Amino acid sequence: MLIYFIASILTALSAFAARNERHLFVAGAAFYAIQAALALWIIAGGAYDTISLGVFRFDAAGTLFFVLLTVVSAFAFAHSESYLHGSDLRQMRTYSALLLLLTTAITGAYFASNLAVTWIFLEATTLCSAGIIYHRRTAQTLEAAWKYVFVCSTGIAMAYLGILLLAAATKCESLSYEAVAAAAPGSNALYLKTAFLLILCGYSCKVELFPLYTVGVDANFAAPAPASALISTGVVNAGFLAILRVYKILAQTDIFPWVRSILILVGVLSLAIGALFLRRTNNYKRFLSYSTVENMGIAAIGLGIGGIGVWAAVFHVVCHTLIKSSLYLQIAIVRQVYNGYRINRIGDYIHINRVGAIGLIIGMVVVMAFPPSPLFISELSILREVIAAGKWWLVCIILLLLCIVIYSFCMRMLRLCYQPNQDELHLSKADRKRSWSALSLLLAAMIVGVWQPGFLARLIDQIASL
Amino acid sequence: MILPLVILYVVTLIYLSITERFRNFASLIGLQGWLLFGIALVRLHTINPAEFAFIAIETLLFKGILVPWLLFAVIRRTKINRVRRSGSSQSGALLLSLTALVVSGSITYYVADTTVDLVFFGVALYALLSGLILITLRQRIFSHMVGFLVIENGVFLFSTAIGVEMPLVINVAILLDILISVLMLGIFFTKIDGKIHADDADSLTNVKD
Repeated sequence: MLIYFIASILTALSAFAARNERHLFVAGAAFYAIQAALALWIIAGGAYDTISLGVFRFDAAGTLFFVLLTVVSAFAFAHSESYLHGSDLRQMRTYSALLLLLTTAITGAYFASNLAVTWIFLEATTLCSAGIIYHRRTAQTLEAAWKYVFVCSTGIAMAYLGILLLAAATKCESLSYEAVAAAAPGSNALYLKTAFLLILCGYSCKVELFPLYTVGVDANFAAPAPASALISTGVVNAGFLAILRVYKILAQTDIFPWVRSILILVGVLSLAIGALFLRRTNNYKRFLSYSTVENMGIAAIGLGIGGIGVWAAVFHVVCHTLIKSSLYLQIAIVRQVYNGYRINRIGDYIHINRVGAIGLIIGMVVVMAFPPSPLFISELSILREVIAAGKWWLVCIILLLLCIVIYSFCMRMLRLCYQPNQDELHLSKADRKRSWSALSLLLAAMIVGVWQPGFLARLIDQIASL
Repeated sequence: MILPLVILYVVTLIYLSITERFRNFASLIGLQGWLLFGIALVRLHTINPAEFAFIAIETLLFKGILVPWLLFAVIRRTKINRVRRSGSSQSGALLLSLTALVVSGSITYYVADTTVDLVFFGVALYALLSGLILITLRQRIFSHMVGFLVIENGVFLFSTAIGVEMPLVINVAILLDILISVLMLGIFFTKIDGKIHADDADSLTNVKD
């Protein structure tokens, strides 16, 4: 891991010092070669399930999410190049370097086997994301960056308090997940509950769940769209994994039923907020951000309901990564064509960029969880578990909110494709090629919806086992 | 030795809730940095000398000197001197702060356990509530930043109190935390005033639905 960090940081720094766009491309290629080498080393080089530096473990969760991160980050980097083509070189190289550093920080958070190390890397993602959000140097992006840094730092400080309390409650000298999990049963229940609340509230700014979801929405709105693809999936997954690991620690304790109830509550509130704001917003990027809030709400409900719901939650997050990144990359092209994201003004996309429009429509169908969407499997599994648990009130709420989501998606995406356009167009030849590229992520998600490879199923089984 | 330092720390929190001058905010944050330095010296002298030296120096340099200096620099640059409009009066803020103190004390009494040092737990909780009150009640961004620093100091205080051996990773985490604080100050110092032309949180409403 040390070699990986040194190599990644050096490559990112070389992007900082790039003299032209070609140097940036070379730095990016070198960085993703390092990412691929690490993935290969873990999967094929025998490093899987080993410990590195005492605080990192190449476990199932870390490995699966790392592979996804590498794919999404590489797509985001490649799309950023054309998205930012012609921008000021100084800004471009800062943006590129921060994107690479953000990927490195997320990788650290995925593989961390220690509560404090996870916390450090999540904090590092705040620093890198803030720089990316402020890329355009406008008053709006400054405001979003300020809010992001401020709320995330406050949230993460709260999470740290929770981690310390968890360590105190379990009387653990080490903050490794294994040691804390071993010591957690029999600990003071009130301390554990307080610790979980603080950690959940704190990390909610990363995982885009209630109550601190707003900063994530603002961040995705202000950042360049390809970077939003990474923030809305990579960073969100890092937060999800951090919460999932704490959830697993508490699975062996007496307070576990209470933890699950809290997760259901947070999940329902997030789903409700996501669904309602999908109707309200007038900006396609914020629209996709609220969709992330809604989807993470579903994942939280899955964790809360337990049983097959945990498996479904992990599967949901994995597939959401591919789907949402594809949609963000498509919407980046929309922005270049129309120079904006205003829902009530832009339209006729089907005649302007047919591939992009088809990508968005397929994305709409997939994110609404219609077959062959993988989200159909996860949402159906969660609903099945909710019904099995006899929580009919929850079934009604989920179905009602999902109806609102479906209605909103149909209205907004069809409007973009078919309503008369009122804005000026800025077409380029690269649009169609990049639309195909973004569509490939969506197709990968749909394949997973129809057929899950054995290794993927095994990894998710391992991640979901409590 | 340690109890007077903690009591003084609580007094700074109460004073922070009623003061309206930003110079006082900056001075109190500086004083808290020095108090934390003192507490760290007394509390952590038994740990690994290298880690102990790192924590002590880092606390003194960043929390005691650099952060207050930056706060004063912001005050000089922006020429803002006091809370223009607060959501409540001074007496109201004091009442709220004392309520937070009572609540923290009650919770601490309720969770009384041998696993954590209760005085530190109570004070850390009070610091967290005080920070949140400052952020909620005050409208100026400067006050929000002070609220954040108060929370950070409370978390640091609590980290010195629990039985976990302070490993190097926690030191790095604290340093990173401070780095973020300095970054925030830097953003405020160089950008906010120039771009948004406002020091009022009410002006930060461009990014919304």
